[in-house]
Amino acid sequence: MEMVSETIAIFNRWNKKLLRQPILIFFNLIQPLVWFLLFTQAFSAIGNIPTFKLLTGTSSYITFFTAAVIIQTITSSALGAGLGLVTDFDSGFMDKMRVAPINKSSILFGRLFSAALTTILQVIIILIIGFALGVTIASGILGVVMILILAALFGIAWSGISLFVALKTKNQEITLSVGLLTTFPLLFLSASVMPLGLLPDWVQKVAKVNPFTYVAQAFQSLIINGFAWDKIEYALIAIVIVGALSLGASIMIFRKKIS
Amino acid sequence: MAEVRVQCPKCKNQIAVQVRPGEKIPITCPKCKTQGTFTFPLEKVVQQASKKEDIVVVEHLSKTYDKDILAVDDISFRVHKGEIFGFLGPNGAGKSTTIKILTTLLEKSSGTATIDGLDVDVQQAQVRRIIGYSSQDVGVDNDLTARENLLLQCQFHHMPKEASKKKVDELLKTVKLIDAADRRLKTFSGGMRKRLDLASSLVSDPKILFLDEPTTGLDPQSRQDIWEYVIKLNRQGMTIFLTTQYMEEADRLANRLCIVDQGKIVAEGTPAELKARIGADKITIRFKANDFAECEKAKQLLSKLPDVEAVGECGTGLISENGLTIMTKNGAAIVAKVVRALDEAGISLEQLNLSVPTLDEVFIKLTGKTLNVIERKEAVKPFGRRR
Repeated sequence: MEMVSETIAIFNRWNKKLLRQPILIFFNLIQPLVWFLLFTQAFSAIGNIPTFKLLTGTSSYITFFTAAVIIQTITSSALGAGLGLVTDFDSGFMDKMRVAPINKSSILFGRLFSAALTTILQVIIILIIGFALGVTIASGILGVVMILILAALFGIAWSGISLFVALKTKNQEITLSVGLLTTFPLLFLSASVMPLGLLPDWVQKVAKVNPFTYVAQAFQSLIINGFAWDKIEYALIAIVIVGALSLGASIMIFRKKIS
Repeated sequence: MAEVRVQCPKCKNQIAVQVRPGEKIPITCPKCKTQGTFTFPLEKVVQQASKKEDIVVVEHLSKTYDKDILAVDDISFRVHKGEIFGFLGPNGAGKSTTIKILTTLLEKSSGTATIDGLDVDVQQAQVRRIIGYSSQDVGVDNDLTARENLLLQCQFHHMPKEASKKKVDELLKTVKLIDAADRRLKTFSGGMRKRLDLASSLVSDPKILFLDEPTTGLDPQSRQDIWEYVIKLNRQGMTIFLTTQYMEEADRLANRLCIVDQGKIVAEGTPAELKARIGADKITIRFKANDFAECEKAKQLLSKLPDVEAVGECGTGLISENGLTIMTKNGAAIVAKVVRALDEAGISLEQLNLSVPTLDEVFIKLTGKTLNVIERKEAVKPFGRRR
């Protein structure tokens, strides 16, 4: 019970911080939006490839690409989770929390849940902009809810990676670089910018073990075709695996004392 | 509650009584049945309590970083309940490392350390409930208001809502931030932040408060404020462990202190005891006439005075060529004798200075170097390692 109240206290703290600098919500969105607006324009002709329509069920590249933009949004707010912790280390606030009689995991969970909330807000903004650009969600309002749930869960799981780097290095630059450098290759080595069938053989092989692929495919099916539970299941499995590893490692390293 | 021994005015019998600081209690002598009252004055608390038990016991504590950097080197000390205990030393002496080990933030390499009988490694959770810690870098959240910061600390200590509100108001008043309570810290000065930081380490009424360089980087007025709060807290019975690189701070606040250098304790005692080790007060004299013969004469004369321990060579006085330096145990008492002796001999003085030893001199004597106090910002640390 104590852990719940501690987590809520820390969750509220981060939310307050965010609300007082709402610009941060939009700041993280700049990059995904640039992609959303420019990339899809430059590559709109992809939609005309006959196999593309066959594989994806749509000839609108921007509709297909929305999933990639959502994933990018998730990873960039996940990055914020780690950066926030580094700020706490630098300011001395972390030590203040560590000498308080609270469970250390509460510090991490409070941060993660707040990052997840940010992700949800950001994905809603992306979907609204998408709607303005002509992207419709085939699975309807429930599909939107499902997208938000998956986004929040994947956000928490992916945040674990940036938490791990933040706890390990306590360094802004490294946490930032690792976050940025992993996102792009993983996006291009997955089924999020191109359907699997159109990718070269070796990329397909990599994409099949890349969690982005499964999360992207779940988003794509919800946006283009409607509810496909098998895709959602795969996405959840990928999220659970990533989350178990990243959060497990973060908690482990955090519980160890810093020497 | 403290145990105090009171003497019966009639039969001189010693009576042990349990009494709270500031409390007035009736006493009946068990021997002669004389009745009376006893008030336990607040100022006595520190002395009384320090005779009782140790709240911090550290034995053979060592801390090694990266296998070869010895930050704390086999130190042992005890902090008595109710005292202000100081750790005085330059940067890199191992002060912060020690305080971090005691506050459970850092794992020790060897030795033992207990707070109120609780092992800092094994019983971390219990230790954290009874300590307050205010770090060198001010641990407050700048996006929150002063009140929110304190309420958050209350939540960390699982205090009920109503009690928290009351406590927070009380603390804000104590540190004179009640008028700024609902402002975000972004607009606060360094001194205000430090005061809030101090308040935030007090929400749970800790048994012992750890202050890591509480006034480093503060302006003189803020420093004065912090000192006042520390003394006030201590009067209320709180044990305080503080580290500092300022002699004046150690001298003003600490009941007892350790001088630390390069991970070792080089001296321990009350400020007065430590200063007494230097031994002597110093009287520096400058003569009117620039005459070596006269100076020699004065030297002969003064060497014979009782209590004078040593007289320096003529011409080596600190002030000028025609000066003398006298070392003595009790400077204030001897000044008059010096003046009289010289007057009788017809030697006229231009200047006479009396200086008592400072902790600075103690430090120089013990370590062969001076405490360089440089106002500093935290240097950029690769990977954020702190020591």
